[in-house]
Amino acid sequence: MPTTRLFIRFTRAAVCLAAMLAVVATSARAADDIKASSEKEQELLAILRSEAPGADKAIACKQLAIHGSDAAVPDLAKLLSDAQFASWARIALEAIPGSVVDEALRKATDSLDGNLLVGTINSIGVRRDANAVDILATRLQDKDAEVASAAAVALGRIGNDAAAKSLRQSLASAPVSVRSAVAEGCVLCAERLHAAGKSADAVAIYDEVRKADVPKQRIIEGTRGAILARSPQEGLPLLLEQFRSADKALFQLALGTAREFPGNDVDKALATEMTRATPDRAALIIQAMADRKETVVLAAVIAAAGSGPKPVRLSAIGALGRVGDVSCLPLLLDAATDADADLAQAAKGTLADLPGAKVDAQIVALLAKAEGKKYPLLLELVGKRRIEATAALLKAMDHADKAVRGIALIALGETVTLKNLSVLVTQVIAPKRAEDAPVAQLALKTASIRMPDREACAAELTTALDRSPAASKSVLLEILGDVGGTKALNTIGLAAKSKDAQLQDVGSRLLGKWNSVEAAPVLLDLAKTAPEEKYQVRALRGYIGLVRKFPMADQERAAMCQKAFEASRQPAEQKLVLDVIKLHPGVETLKLAIKTMQVADLKDEATQATLVVAQKLGAKGVDVRELLNTAGLDKVKLEIIKAEYGSGATQRDVTAVLQKQAGDLPLITLASASYNANFGGDPLPGSAKQLKVQYRINGKAGEASFPEDALIVLPMPK
Amino acid sequence: MSNKAKQLPRRQFLKGALSAAGAAVLAPTIIPSSALGLDGAVAPSERVVVGGIGIGGRGTYDLGCFLEQKDVQFVAVCDVKEKRRTAVKKIADEKYGNENCATYVDFRELLDRKDIDAVLIATGPNWHATMAMHAAKAGKDMYCEKPVTKNISQSLILAETMRRTGRVFQAGTQRRNLPHFAFACELARTGKLGKLKKVYAHPAGMQALMSGWLIPETEPDKEVVDWNMYLGPAAWRPFNPKLLDGFNFEKGGGFIGAFNGGGVLEWGSHCVDLCQWAVGDCAPPVEYNAPKDGELVARYENGCELIFREKGWIPLGSCPVRFEGETGWVEAGDSGKLVLSSPELLAGREVAEIGGYPATFHVRDFLDCVKTRGLPKGNADAACNAHIACHAANVALSLGRTVKYDNKTNEFIDDVQANRFRSEALREPWRL
Repeated sequence: MPTTRLFIRFTRAAVCLAAMLAVVATSARAADDIKASSEKEQELLAILRSEAPGADKAIACKQLAIHGSDAAVPDLAKLLSDAQFASWARIALEAIPGSVVDEALRKATDSLDGNLLVGTINSIGVRRDANAVDILATRLQDKDAEVASAAAVALGRIGNDAAAKSLRQSLASAPVSVRSAVAEGCVLCAERLHAAGKSADAVAIYDEVRKADVPKQRIIEGTRGAILARSPQEGLPLLLEQFRSADKALFQLALGTAREFPGNDVDKALATEMTRATPDRAALIIQAMADRKETVVLAAVIAAAGSGPKPVRLSAIGALGRVGDVSCLPLLLDAATDADADLAQAAKGTLADLPGAKVDAQIVALLAKAEGKKYPLLLELVGKRRIEATAALLKAMDHADKAVRGIALIALGETVTLKNLSVLVTQVIAPKRAEDAPVAQLALKTASIRMPDREACAAELTTALDRSPAASKSVLLEILGDVGGTKALNTIGLAAKSKDAQLQDVGSRLLGKWNSVEAAPVLLDLAKTAPEEKYQVRALRGYIGLVRKFPMADQERAAMCQKAFEASRQPAEQKLVLDVIKLHPGVETLKLAIKTMQVADLKDEATQATLVVAQKLGAKGVDVRELLNTAGLDKVKLEIIKAEYGSGATQRDVTAVLQKQAGDLPLITLASASYNANFGGDPLPGSAKQLKVQYRINGKAGEASFPEDALIVLPMPK
Repeated sequence: MSNKAKQLPRRQFLKGALSAAGAAVLAPTIIPSSALGLDGAVAPSERVVVGGIGIGGRGTYDLGCFLEQKDVQFVAVCDVKEKRRTAVKKIADEKYGNENCATYVDFRELLDRKDIDAVLIATGPNWHATMAMHAAKAGKDMYCEKPVTKNISQSLILAETMRRTGRVFQAGTQRRNLPHFAFACELARTGKLGKLKKVYAHPAGMQALMSGWLIPETEPDKEVVDWNMYLGPAAWRPFNPKLLDGFNFEKGGGFIGAFNGGGVLEWGSHCVDLCQWAVGDCAPPVEYNAPKDGELVARYENGCELIFREKGWIPLGSCPVRFEGETGWVEAGDSGKLVLSSPELLAGREVAEIGGYPATFHVRDFLDCVKTRGLPKGNADAACNAHIACHAANVALSLGRTVKYDNKTNEFIDDVQANRFRSEALREPWRL
């Protein structure tokens, strides 16, 4: 046998085997599932039959939705008359497949009334029980309007011929309070009929609803269905009728339905309709036209954009941004230079958005021979659309008009590549005209921060820095600060340590607000070696800012805090470090806070930081008792005034327990880590509890709350 | 909202961020600014009259976004809690310098008002879908907070109802109108990353959430809190004040997480929604596997994977997403930052960074569509697909095994057990 055929046979066999194994595995899983569910079902039914608490029965009902079978139906059906459990029972009953549930629900309608009957009918509707049509048809006549309405909607959900027949019969005769629901049921039926290919029947029902004495919203639904269920040829006139309606709601319906309408005849019709509508309506019709992107009559939108009432033109110009192409360019360029500011602004917006490479190419071509107002407009578009046209922009920089040169510079900033960045650098450090310098600086900044390779960009700017006159050096440094990265950081670091006072100032300021931990070593170095003390302080504060701001491991933060302490020469900075420690509680930062308590000038702040960190760590469940014992905290006079433990209205007085444990530190150590064990058991099982303490330390009153089992470190009252 | 975002005029802000992919991601301003209320001259006929339902913390933020719009007239508030009714009325009355904001306990009375065009629904998630359906049937357009639905069936009915009634629906998925997320999705959708292989969502919590049936306490006066209306379509349970604030009914209920969304849906309705946008708002995945090593992998029909990640994300703030194609990738999060496999994907553009997740643009998008009858970014179909993906993932999570979903029949394939998770009865008398 040829190898290929052998392979095919083997493959077929393997596929068959795999399929068989899959079936076996699926069957085995199904069998296991059934067995497990059956056992689970019996457990759950036992709960329903017991005196178990309501919550347990509710859960049992919900789980029977997964594990229940016909065997569960009698127990669940009994609950349909129970106001508290009927909704739970129906959760299971709606989910359990099979006719036994349907029978039970139908039977329940005999004896229920009010909301419980409504709920049961709703479930019948969800299950689309065709055998319930007669029962529901009878209930359409129920004196209770809520019951009759529920029956109407349930019939709509069932949606078969019999249901449709009973609903249509009731549409005219039902009381006003029920008629809206009957119409809703009719529309639901019509949808099903249309989906099943019975469009003529569906149209008949839709037409009956839209002509019935029912609320406006039902008429809208009937009309929409009547338009879409008809053939496009028959539906289109009805759609246009709504466009011409004086009724705003029907006009709005037309706008929405036009977007759904099949075929492209509607596009032509919309183009015509737009010309005969009032300006406000025409503006909205244009938006509907533009939402039919594939078939829109573009010429009509272009025409509307070119002339006519202003609201229509504005709408059309905006729409061209979505559906327009290069053919719209002349018109939009004219509109963008129109004397009317609104039209010009709209056109400029659309010109920036208009999709397509052909548009870009045409703009570049036009730029070469443009004059007057069009010239700056095209330059601006080059920038906004990010078109590569450096040569044309460079030429524009020699223009006599300052405004034109400015536009060209901005466009260069938005389009120039690294290769040509030097063009902008030159405009900054040696501008042909001094008056262009501010715009050139802005353009260079724009270009620099968008360069894909920021290190290369920073290298280019660093080179420029060396040959720059003093006046421009600060500008280049500022731009380097915006660019960021390693090269920029090093360059600015060197500037901050240079002999030039201005560079020291600019450099240290930029480093002080650096937004990356990468700057930490540079800042620390500067904090120790900057030529002037004020820059050392600035650098140190920048360093502390980094420690404060960025996420890092506790150990790393503690080490950086330690370095900051060592570099600090004034208490103000040391206190900032303690603030960082309080903000980022960790075991290592706690150790540092405790160590700092030995510094006489910082003892109070360090003690406060120690307690704050200890309290935060304690709340997270970290045991810091041993560490605190090493802190040598000052003794205080602690009085417990009142203490309560519990949740909401359930509170247990635990004042005596805390008073007994209170010592001479703002810290209370309980005999056991568990509040419940210390406070005589759980006052409210299953709920999150709190300990609230009112106290005095050295005569000053304070209050604090602690989550369950948190370490009790009492804040020092202020 | 960050000051930066507040200061930027909408159009300039969006354009600066969006044009990079070579096509407009967001619809441009489409009708005259005077009609949209952007220049202070809004004719009464052009105003959108709005009512609010269930305006709590998030809702108050949304309300602020609505009140910023000059063409909005906020006229009524409904809440089952007296305190909130009063608080929202105060905000509205102070805004307009009158005492005209009407208050309601029963939202159906608010919906009966013929002068109201649109409603802001910001109740607890338990009510969202049911109330949205009522609003649509009452002829109101709506901005509805997320998660919008509690199960697959509700998701499908929501989309069908909005189509049938012709109403404008905007889910509170405001990231669809944020430039950096829009840009990231645009890169993925337009093939700039090559053929899309994987999209990552980060629901931050793939487990059932606790709620449920607590110890009964004395029910307050109906005027103070109408407990029956608060429960609404949720199965009955006794009053307990702990269930009143920050409580999402039935997102697990201490029962079965997948029934109502669980942790996946809380954030998934945002980040999975963005993934859905990235894949072109196609039908949701067809296969969902049980979670493994903190990842739940779902697969779209075209083979692209949707990966729900529990942990281990780069620091991009909350709601991060990542889209991976054959030639590139992009990540975005609430920090406002974008991270790209190559700067070239920016095509020379900057993307404005916005901290947080301002909803103003999303609200504006909604109001524009109320007028034009176009589709807003967070429309019902989009919300339906994203929610189904989350619900189906929850089913795999609950069953601890792979489930396969058929988008044509909207059923799990040959899986009786999984199919039972698709819907859940509502408490009487409520229906969809």
